[in-house]
Amino acid sequence: MIDLSVKLASLSLKNPILLASGVWDLPYTRIIDFGKLGGVICKGVSLKPKEGNPPPRIAETSCGIINSIGLENKGLEHFNKEVLPEITKLKTHIFINVFGETIEDFAMIASRIKDVAGLEVNISCPNIREGGDSFGKDPKMVFSITKAICNETELPIIVKLSPSASNIEETAQAAKEGGATAVTSSNTFPGLVIDIDRKKPLFKNIAGGLSGPAIKPLALYNVYKIKNAVDIPIIGSGGIANHKDVIEYLIAGASCVQLGSIIFNNPLAPIEILDNLSYWMKEKGYNNLRDIIKK
Amino acid sequence: MATTFRILPVLENKKLGSYHKVTLTDREMYKSAACGNFIMIGFSMLDPYLPRPFALFEVSKETLSVLFKVTGKGTELLSEVKKGDSLKVLGPLGKKICPPDKGVLIAGGIGIAPIYYQTGFMKGGILFYGAKSKKDLISIREFKNRGFKVKTITEEKGGLVPDLVEKHKGELNGKQIFICGPLGMIKSIKSILTKEQIEKSYVYIEKIMGCGIGGCKSCAVKTTDGYKLVCTEGPVFPLNEVELD
Repeated sequence: MIDLSVKLASLSLKNPILLASGVWDLPYTRIIDFGKLGGVICKGVSLKPKEGNPPPRIAETSCGIINSIGLENKGLEHFNKEVLPEITKLKTHIFINVFGETIEDFAMIASRIKDVAGLEVNISCPNIREGGDSFGKDPKMVFSITKAICNETELPIIVKLSPSASNIEETAQAAKEGGATAVTSSNTFPGLVIDIDRKKPLFKNIAGGLSGPAIKPLALYNVYKIKNAVDIPIIGSGGIANHKDVIEYLIAGASCVQLGSIIFNNPLAPIEILDNLSYWMKEKGYNNLRDIIKK
Repeated sequence: MATTFRILPVLENKKLGSYHKVTLTDREMYKSAACGNFIMIGFSMLDPYLPRPFALFEVSKETLSVLFKVTGKGTELLSEVKKGDSLKVLGPLGKKICPPDKGVLIAGGIGIAPIYYQTGFMKGGILFYGAKSKKDLISIREFKNRGFKVKTITEEKGGLVPDLVEKHKGELNGKQIFICGPLGMIKSIKSILTKEQIEKSYVYIEKIMGCGIGGCKSCAVKTTDGYKLVCTEGPVFPLNEVELD
């Protein structure tokens, strides 16, 4: 019997596959058996409703997509009343991605979400003007936000780091010192698309966030750098498209991984990756994931 | 609505005018597909990465078909599929609409695809239909068999769909109107219609989509009630509620 279970700090996950925030919503439960996943991270929730960015909000790139959604959501009150009761019915670990425009926003949201496996703190969205990536680049801000949140909740805190930080080891260290339980290795990478007919950036916000297989080597390198500098569990994310990508992330130092935009390309990717991971381990003679990462 | 994700075999790929009609073998879609629905068709590789949304064109107990024009990488690949190839299909998707028994349909170019599907849920009415040339006017006989009076116009003969609508404007009074076509055409028609006619009009909106199922929030369209997602709250919207940009 192949054992895919992993530990994320004190949490036991049945396998290392989590669904990233921002790519799925409840309609996906019609297609994916969420009970088979290690966990899911819900789309970012803010204190007040946020209408999101003007269209266009997405463009395709080679082996990836670039988005400028702008964290559209109906706010914390709606989330707690309408969404959370449905989400918590899913038979897997539920993490809630939260974001704010000020430190106080983050603390307030953290104090008002209960009964989930943990919070993922979004200090790294490249698509909003206030907060977001500007917080994630600054280790002092990362520390302050993390500490403010940890003061308000007993839930495990995962800080989603920004790939724009000039030194991601420093922001990971700041998250740890602020009290984070773990870090998500990185958000989407800021990038640009030009509309050649209009001779202007495609998105009204200029930059968007690049994701998909196009960014995998960059995102994977972030995991490796954090692992070698900071003693904190890492959730690897960025461009995972198959089981071999998952193995690369685990070897680089991730405790588990997030799948994101690949579910647009193939909604069954999470389940297929789990199956293929088991086949691969069986073929190679591994009984559990710990054996893979042994040097 | 039973949305499923399946790999379906290609049964046929044929040209209709300058369009392509791809038919897949499928014995499930007819059980749950409704008027206004669309599907996402994806590819077996990572580039192109995203699946593409297509209006349902025809659905039978054995097959489903889409009709499209080659406009980019995705549609070019799709135009090259052969019998025996497989495609990823997610659907049916979108909000079901309930058209009246009889009404007015207006289609421009490839906008005929969902309009044709819609006629399967109606008993007749009038179709105003324009295309670049006569060979691109698809399924005219079929529309007539379905009880529609068909009025056509082609660019090669110097006319556009709004010209046709303008000429017969009086015939639209008091009827529900459904429009699908290029944005410019929709805007022109909106400027021709009376306030009363606009209030009874609906429009098929097309946007680039990530997932097609409400997960990514990419396909937003501005409406009088804020942004709405074309994939779950459309693709059909009241004409006076949606911002045509």
